[in-house]
Amino acid sequence: MSVLEAEVTIVNRAGLHTRPAAGLVKMCSKFLSDIYLSRDGFSINAKSIIGVMTLAAEQGSTLNIKAEGIDAEEALNSLIEYFKSGFGEPI
Amino acid sequence: MGIQSNLKPIMQEKIPVSVMLQAPLKFKCLTDEVGLDNSITDKNLHRPQLALAGYVGLFSWHRVQIFGNTETNYLRTLTLPDRIKALEKITQFRLPCIILTNNNMLDQELIDICINAEIPVLQTEYDTSKAFYLLSEFLDDQFSPQIVMHGSFVDVYGVGILFVGRSGIGKSEIALDLIERGHRLVADDVVMLTKKRETILMGTGTSLVQHFMEIRGLGIIDIRQMFGIRSIRFQKRLEIVVELEDWDDKATYTRTGLDELPLEILGVEISKVKLPIFPGKNITVIAEVIAINYLLRTYGYDASQVFSEKLNERIRQKSGVKKIFEEKRIISYFQGDNE
Repeated sequence: MSVLEAEVTIVNRAGLHTRPAAGLVKMCSKFLSDIYLSRDGFSINAKSIIGVMTLAAEQGSTLNIKAEGIDAEEALNSLIEYFKSGFGEPI
Repeated sequence: MGIQSNLKPIMQEKIPVSVMLQAPLKFKCLTDEVGLDNSITDKNLHRPQLALAGYVGLFSWHRVQIFGNTETNYLRTLTLPDRIKALEKITQFRLPCIILTNNNMLDQELIDICINAEIPVLQTEYDTSKAFYLLSEFLDDQFSPQIVMHGSFVDVYGVGILFVGRSGIGKSEIALDLIERGHRLVADDVVMLTKKRETILMGTGTSLVQHFMEIRGLGIIDIRQMFGIRSIRFQKRLEIVVELEDWDDKATYTRTGLDELPLEILGVEISKVKLPIFPGKNITVIAEVIAINYLLRTYGYDASQVFSEKLNERIRQKSGVKKIFEEKRIISYFQGDNE
């Protein structure tokens, strides 16, 4: 089992609000790995929408992703892409 | 799986003086609003005795300074210019704040020095030992290590039960079912645990989430609005962790309850129950039984222990075959009314 970590930045103007949070959780739930998101040491399970929204991540804030499991690499790559794309929202 | 593996404690490094004002000491601020942003970086308190007398070697100036009767009476023995000199000597350090106990006062000249140095002076009616006790407890809490856990935290018959397990296993649904039966939700999904007095873990939700909950297929609901104030609480001591797992034929589960290993969170041991689930199994009732059994144990009755002792007693008696047959049933003959 591999444990992978990455730092990502929120690029879209509206931040990680309800819609992208839901998209994020949906994406994470497809993977078998345990995925955690953390901000300033406050770490939550990325498969929980309430948890993701608790981060209240605004534009410019950095989050740490940690994926642990057999498909950790795949999960991490799709998540990084999703963050980079600004969740398909105006930057 | 199940219990979050990246349990990194969050440590509070500093709190502003304004947060300390919430401590239950009925503080009166004598210095208007100055210095309320000053950082407190140490949970220990300090009495500046020798520093006031002029010796500032090893002076723990970064701690909250408590002026008790000793300090106040000592200052009173000095002339006003000497008092000013004594206070100036210690306010050259960046003290977070000064607390006067027993409703003691300082001369206006001294208060002005503190205002200039941006050091808040707070007055409390409590005596020094009580103020020490109350403030230490407050600061101890503020500087305690905390962790965030993914799970549902419910008060069941007064026992704090945290349900953990992979996402989608049905933690929130179990919590909802328990709330329906009159139990109280503490937090769902994001549970913050704080160590208190080394042996206790206190749990609470976050200020954003409060008692909102996500139910898959429904979306987000607000438990407080739906079920009312009696269905929630803000804080609860964590007593049992129930780890929900998908049923696994190969895994072994405790059958007698004698071989449970506790779980360690932030160095505090918490009872753990590993519970396999499958469709149609009523976890809610099991959760209630877990709580009641915990209460029995806490109050001195351990069912598995009692049963095991009964068995040992019977074995020791080496009763013959005939006696075993007689004793197989709770009663030796059925009463005639057939009820």
